[in-house]
Amino acid sequence: MQQEVERYRKPTRVLHWVHTSAFIILFLTGLILFIPPLAILAQDSWTRLLHRIAAVVFVGGPLIYMLMNWKAAWKGVKEAFTWGAEDIGWLQAAPRYYFLCDEGAMPPQPHMNTGQKLWWLMVVVFSVLFFISGFIMWPLKTVAPSALLQWMAFIHDVAFIATGTMFFVHIYLSVIHPLMRPLHTGAWSSMARGKVSAEYAKSHHSKWYEEISKAP
Amino acid sequence: MAEKAILFDSTKCMACRACQVACKQWNELNGEKTSNRGSYENPPDLGGTTWVKIGFREVERQGNVTWLFVRRACMHCTDAGCVRVCPNGTLFHNEWGAVAYNKDTCTGCGYCVEGCPFSVPGLDGNRVTGIGKMGKCSFCTTPGLDRIAQGWAPACVKTCPSEALQYGDRDKLVAEGKQRVAALKAKGYSNAYLYGDKELQGLHVLYVLDDSPRVYGLPVNPRIPAATLAWQNVIQPLGWALGGLTIIGLGLNYLVAREAKLTRELPGKKEE
Repeated sequence: MQQEVERYRKPTRVLHWVHTSAFIILFLTGLILFIPPLAILAQDSWTRLLHRIAAVVFVGGPLIYMLMNWKAAWKGVKEAFTWGAEDIGWLQAAPRYYFLCDEGAMPPQPHMNTGQKLWWLMVVVFSVLFFISGFIMWPLKTVAPSALLQWMAFIHDVAFIATGTMFFVHIYLSVIHPLMRPLHTGAWSSMARGKVSAEYAKSHHSKWYEEISKAP
Repeated sequence: MAEKAILFDSTKCMACRACQVACKQWNELNGEKTSNRGSYENPPDLGGTTWVKIGFREVERQGNVTWLFVRRACMHCTDAGCVRVCPNGTLFHNEWGAVAYNKDTCTGCGYCVEGCPFSVPGLDGNRVTGIGKMGKCSFCTTPGLDRIAQGWAPACVKTCPSEALQYGDRDKLVAEGKQRVAALKAKGYSNAYLYGDKELQGLHVLYVLDDSPRVYGLPVNPRIPAATLAWQNVIQPLGWALGGLTIIGLGLNYLVAREAKLTRELPGKKEE
């Protein structure tokens, strides 16, 4: 039995999958409006109802998490907004790493590498944008001026395009990219079971591994 | 097919509101319970089940109060904001040039309500669940209640006792409207105007006005807002382009990276 380290605690993993499930429902019920031939599926408003139920989960899930794990939430949000010179190192190495599978090109990474952080930052920022624009278009629909509602729809759409496309990139880089196979080694393992092998932590997040090794 | 239109002559309207009744009756729309708001104008606004109403306006002219009556209903614009924002083609231009819609496919999103420069479409439904349907004047072309296909005038026109409403080919009515405006100008109504001739590339409801549109509460030179144009012109194509490029890019990356990983693994194993 090889040594393993904990990467994500259970509440974090539950939040990840709850948020993901809500996002997928929101994504699909929104996507059909972008495909006019399929948009016929939206008739009689049932996708709107589904979208709203999922929206409550999408917003409520993180809120409950923040109330119950405010320390971890604060740490996570801080991580999303902590950027430095070392992130440039990742960006420079990324093409060699992801296209040529040159793992030696990548400088040592902390708990989250720059790519993960980029997506995590997008999740934080666009979730807030989705919430604000969605809130105005739902409970405030009858009182908000038309022009405001139209711009909120615009923001909702831009956020949809940004997160919708990056969602594919996220799935791809987590579980499909050749370096991410076999699944039990890295990203999938950390989000499904919460643990990764010490070997993986050392090679992919060496700065983080040093930190947790030092801690008692 | 020749484009059809309705011509409303404000100088002939006597605000009997027979058009409101005929519209409700023909199109099988329920009445609303309203309360007295100190005006003969009723109901208060257009909505999902009120497709036409006469507005009562009290305007001062040379020290006297003049009572002006103005028809409010869908203008059936050629450049229609509602058609531009409708996500699934529920709203469309029919063969007569009017803006018709398919009530069955309406999702109740309300984008048309926000995209209409005349604030015409109404949304009836549940605000919490979002389940609802849009309603507006269909130019009497609702399937099963289609008067136009029968060669009949719309219900409001048919019933109008003072002939303030006329129905016919659009180009003929534009000519007729111009004549009436010229006659009004000759009588001293120097601001007389034919509204709908040029607005939004031509409305299919024309207004003979004895004063400027502003006096009648009509938007002068109505425009489609940028946010309305963005949906079909920017957002939809942008979404498709970025989504498509991303998936193609990821596919290419997969092919390149898989090849690279395979070639790396072979000599790598020997070194160990």
